[in-house]
Amino acid sequence: MALTQVDQGLLGTNAQYTGFKNRIINGAMVIDQRNAGASVTPTADAYTLDRWDAGMAQASKMTIQQSSTVPAGFSKSLSMTVASAYTPSASEWFGLYQKIEGFNSADFGFGAAGASTVTISFWVRSSIAGSYGFSLSNSAQNRSYPVLYTVNSANTWEQKTITIAGDTSGTWVGATNGIGLLCLWSLGAGSSYLQTANAWGTGLGLGTTGQTNWITNAGATFYITGVQLEKGSTATSFDYRPYGTELSLCQRYFSTTYNTGVAVGAVSNAGGIVHVMDATMSYGGICWNLPTKMRATPTTVSYSPNSGASGKFYTNSGAGDVSATTGSPVYVGMGAISYNVSNVSVTQNAFIVAHFTADAEL
Amino acid sequence: MYKQIKSYFTNEIDTQQVVRIADNATIPFDLANTDYQAYLKWLEEGNTPLPADEPTA
Repeated sequence: MALTQVDQGLLGTNAQYTGFKNRIINGAMVIDQRNAGASVTPTADAYTLDRWDAGMAQASKMTIQQSSTVPAGFSKSLSMTVASAYTPSASEWFGLYQKIEGFNSADFGFGAAGASTVTISFWVRSSIAGSYGFSLSNSAQNRSYPVLYTVNSANTWEQKTITIAGDTSGTWVGATNGIGLLCLWSLGAGSSYLQTANAWGTGLGLGTTGQTNWITNAGATFYITGVQLEKGSTATSFDYRPYGTELSLCQRYFSTTYNTGVAVGAVSNAGGIVHVMDATMSYGGICWNLPTKMRATPTTVSYSPNSGASGKFYTNSGAGDVSATTGSPVYVGMGAISYNVSNVSVTQNAFIVAHFTADAEL
Repeated sequence: MYKQIKSYFTNEIDTQQVVRIADNATIPFDLANTDYQAYLKWLEEGNTPLPADEPTA
C-alpha cells in the first residue's frame, strides 16, 4: 500500500485509534461475576456489575441489576431502580461510577500542560427526562469537571457524547495501580456536589444547580450501556471486545471460582476447589491459581459449596461446614492464593472443598 | 469490625492479614488493597480488632 493512502490524521498525537481505545472496562455490561444477573439492593457503596460501583449515601434506596433492556447493538445494560425515594442532603450523592486504573489512563497526561482531550459516550434510558450530571475526577477527588447531559424523552434510549479538555492542573496518580481517573454519573446530589459546569474546579463536583435528582422519584428507572471513554475529541464506534477478553480485564479486579452465571454465595459444587484429606495427616492445602494477575494482593473469602455460607469450607467427613479458622490463607499473592486446612477430623479420603473470591478492586 | 487471626506456621498473631467479620473476608496487609486502606482508617479512628480465635481441636 502506498504511504499516500494512510490517513495522515491517524498519525497525529491526538488521533483516534482502534484496539483497546476504550478505557472503561465492561462498558457493555456483559460481565456480572458477583450477582449473575440477580438484582441487588446495596446498603453502601458496592460493586455490582463488574467494575461498576454504586454510590449510595443511604442504604437500600435503589436496586441494581444486569438487564436485557438494551439499545440496538447491545445485549446487556445496567439498570437502576429507585427502591425508596429520597432527597439527598447537602453532603450526599447517589449514582454510578467507575474507577480507572492509573496504568490505563496515565497517557492522558492529566495534571500537566498538553493533557489530552477525552470523550465519553454512552447509551442511557431513564424514566425521568431532564438534565443529569456527569463528572470526571482525580483520585483525591479534589479536581473534577462536572457537566450536564440531557435525557430528552422518558423511557427512550439516547446516546450521549461528552468531550472534556484534559486537566492541566492538580495531582493525578499517573502510571500506577492506583485510581487514575473517576467517571461518575450522578442520580442525585446535594448542594455540596453542585459546582460550575463545563470547567475543571477543586473538590468533587457531580453536577450543577438544576440537575435532575432521579433518586427522589419512587420507582424511577435508569439504564446505561455502551460506555466508552477514549482519547480525543470524537466519540468513535463502541469497542466491542471479545467476551473472554472483557472477562479477563475484569478479573484483574475481581475473580471467583464459581461458574459464569452462578452468583457468589450460591449453593453450587461446580468449580469448587477440593483437597482430599489424608486421615494420617492433620492438615492439607488448597491452592487457587488466579486466572489473571490481579491489581493488588486481593481480599479473599471462602464459601461452602454446600450452603453458600461465607468463611466456610465443606467437608464430607461428617462435620459439614467448617469454619474459616480451620482454613486460613497462608500465602496470598496477586497470582495465587493458598489456604491451609487443619484441625479437621476426617476419615480416610474424606475431602474438603470451598469456593473463593478474590477482590482487588480500586 | 475486624478480627485478628493466627499464623498457621507460628501460632502467633498473623501480621500479614486480618478478618473482616461482616463477610469473613481475609484482608492482606497490602497498601494497594482498598480493604486494607479501610482497615487502617478504622484503626486510626481508635478501634482495635477482636482477638483471634483459638484453634478448635
